[in-house]
Amino acid sequence: MLRASRLLLVAGGRTAFFTIHPAPGLSPSQRRRAHRDGPVAVAAHRPHRELLERAGFIDIDEIDCTAEFATIARAWIERSEHHHDHLVDLIGIAEYERRQRERRTQLHAIEDGLLRRSLLTAARPKSTATTD
Amino acid sequence: MVTREEHETRQKFGDRYAEDRTDVVRQIERAVIGSEWGVNGYTTVRQADLLAELLYLGPGMRLLDLGSGCGWPGLYLAARTGCQAVLSDVPLEGLRRALARADTEQVADRVTAVASSARALPFQTASFDAVVHTDMLC
Repeated sequence: MLRASRLLLVAGGRTAFFTIHPAPGLSPSQRRRAHRDGPVAVAAHRPHRELLERAGFIDIDEIDCTAEFATIARAWIERSEHHHDHLVDLIGIAEYERRQRERRTQLHAIEDGLLRRSLLTAARPKSTATTD
Repeated sequence: MVTREEHETRQKFGDRYAEDRTDVVRQIERAVIGSEWGVNGYTTVRQADLLAELLYLGPGMRLLDLGSGCGWPGLYLAARTGCQAVLSDVPLEGLRRALARADTEQVADRVTAVASSARALPFQTASFDAVVHTDMLC
């Protein structure tokens, strides 16, 4: 998808995206847990900086947003608990509990240092010499 | 080829976009994200504003939002910065909600919705000034 994004951009155009990914330096078992406990999109097997370079982007920058990720994950859990009865009426007890379980699992993986969330930015080169 | 996992994820998101957005649901979203755009993920208003800044978005620019859901953050960015936005996603319910919100925000003339997978994007090369996505597989 990154290569497709680069092709869709005008020369000098920019991409920016948030991505949830396994923390660097994990053992194989920790990495498996990060993939299992994170959202379905946590599937990249290489650092996003490297993926962007391979896709032909330049001026790549990465900002770690993990602390805010944990805060937001915790807030979803707490606010949903606060409105438990309303949400159960709306979506049913099974779905409510599934969502809360999924959020708690993700939060534990963040707190255990397995999952990170980053903001990546990059640009399509202005030169037309880059191969497509 | 769409995997079973991707199919299930699309179904899940489609179902969520179709859920009633009650006052309490909006209240929860406001408390967590800072606004009400049908969001159930992790991108806050502050972070969406940061995207606008990093992409130098403004009037006349053309933005593609991949996996836009109900229009977050692409539609929000169009409303906030004056850029044009193309919203792309698979679940139709999310795109319908986004277009309805575009009317409400009075940006319908600058916002287009395209039902497509990020695996096969139906756009011409070099047709966007900026591409954004949040927590998608890439």
